Amino acid sequence: MPKFFRTLIAGLITLTLIGAVSASFALTGKKAKSVPTLKVTVEDESGFSKLQVSSNTNLSYSFKKSGNSLTISFKAPSGLKLDKKPFSSQLVKSVELAKSPNGYSLIIKTGAEDFTFSHSARKNPFELIVNLKLKGEKSSPPESSFSTAEKPAGQPAQTQAAAATEASAKGIGSKNQVKTIVIDPGHGGIETGAKGSFGTLEKDITLSISKKLKDDIERGLKYRVVMTREDDVVVPLDKRAAIANNNKADLFISIHANGSRRLRASGSETYFLSLNATDEEARRLAYFENNSGELKNEVSTNDFDDLKLILWDMAQAAYLKQSSQLAEIVQNELNELLNTKNRGVKQAPFKVLTGVACPAILVEVAFITNPEEEKMLQSDEFQTKVAEAIYQGLNKFLQLYEKQ
Amino acid sequence: MKTKKKKIRLFLILLSVLIIVVLIFFFGSRKEKIKHVVKPSGTSSAVKPTKTVQMKKVTLFFLSEDDNLLHPEEREIQASSSVNDEAKELVEELIKGSKTGLLGPIPENTRVRQVFITSDGTAYVDLSRNLLGANYYGSSGEMAVVYSIVNSLAYNFKSVKKVSLLVEGNERETLGGHIDLSQPFVPDYSLVAR
Repeated sequence: MPKFFRTLIAGLITLTLIGAVSASFALTGKKAKSVPTLKVTVEDESGFSKLQVSSNTNLSYSFKKSGNSLTISFKAPSGLKLDKKPFSSQLVKSVELAKSPNGYSLIIKTGAEDFTFSHSARKNPFELIVNLKLKGEKSSPPESSFSTAEKPAGQPAQTQAAAATEASAKGIGSKNQVKTIVIDPGHGGIETGAKGSFGTLEKDITLSISKKLKDDIERGLKYRVVMTREDDVVVPLDKRAAIANNNKADLFISIHANGSRRLRASGSETYFLSLNATDEEARRLAYFENNSGELKNEVSTNDFDDLKLILWDMAQAAYLKQSSQLAEIVQNELNELLNTKNRGVKQAPFKVLTGVACPAILVEVAFITNPEEEKMLQSDEFQTKVAEAIYQGLNKFLQLYEKQ
Repeated sequence: MKTKKKKIRLFLILLSVLIIVVLIFFFGSRKEKIKHVVKPSGTSSAVKPTKTVQMKKVTLFFLSEDDNLLHPEEREIQASSSVNDEAKELVEELIKGSKTGLLGPIPENTRVRQVFITSDGTAYVDLSRNLLGANYYGSSGEMAVVYSIVNSLAYNFKSVKKVSLLVEGNERETLGGHIDLSQPFVPDYSLVAR
């Protein structure tokens, strides 16, 4: 039956054609979907304007300054979209996206010609922060320690690795500057944290204790206190670390109340960060922890780009030893002053601690999910005691370091 | 002529079925948000699918009201030629909870969307959004969720070296503001009661 075979072959050909067409459909559909979007926000901070550019894909970029505008060129073969929030800034007048021969340009127009800028970047997710300020403005942007101002256009970013070494070299005992303790009241806003069976919310307890701790420190120590939040608002976890780093924090204390499915779980514990990574990054980080003093000599320039990213994400890795000491001392004070069960010092991969570039701990005061401890956590007396214990711990730790 | 018409009709039916299959192949898979290239690792524990259902003994880790540790509980799951399927069933059993009075740390209404194990030994466990926002998600509550899953999978499947948790196909920062989920976890048997 040759006719039958002929129809069969014709059928197969049509089938392949349909398959190919639908395949190409699927592919083009995917391509069209993956046009990266640049999210741009502009905020005025004291003395400078902060421009934040983020995107779901990593982009390579270069800077060019001319007159009163700054142009950031992006290589974007698959197109680029702009999503900017409305802003009002003293320095930044407008932000526009334009097509350029090699990709796209983000053109930032400012109100003056004599401005300088510095920037920092991270990948996954891609985020570029550019600080612009007028020349002669006194207060400098926080990232000024690794400012790339006045560098020729197209130079890759100076690295955060350099900043991190600087930070670790700074140490705790250095004099002649106001030292800062950052208190981080856990959760906030719709992120309530754990809930007790009487309806107590972790976010309220943490804020209340943090405020008491702030008062204690300001009364007893010559330290400036910065809170990551003063009200019942959402603050993203990476922003909390950024607040600490931008304020050049010397110590970072995150306050939490614990929760467990076990109603009987009880007690106080103090955490410092554990590096949860098993892969190559972790090994390199461990290397850093042990050799941070010789960082500049040991690292070949080829490795530099990768390393800066790792350090930005895991700034805390360089401070684990000091953090563990701080945790020990604070936990001892909690044991002395509170009648709670001692759960000891522990390590866990806390998101909020990873990016903090100074000794940092997270205190789990007591279990909000344990009805007895929930009542205790609500009481003003207990909260005052907790703040006092943490304050004593900080004080002892600082005395130890100032002697050295 | 009649037989020819019949054959053409039969052929057209077959053709439309094939087209539908092709369309499902190309468009159906696009719903999945997971971007990792997956290569199911080994079918070493392959059991020939026979009509009698083969069972496999596994050990699950639950919490106990008595201490802060994870406690093993034996369970039988349906053996499969695919490790991914067995791993999925194991996590489903874990969510169903203990049969011996232990406490399951994962919210019971959580669904397992998918479990797949890559050739480098990372098990991606993709769970529904019900996983998030439990009342008891303090640090300890989150640690219990993570390590009951990580330890149970790594303990029972040799091919699993580390575990990454996804929610609705995407990476999550944390479950409730504490433990960082962006890196895969290696098992930690120091959390298990002896």
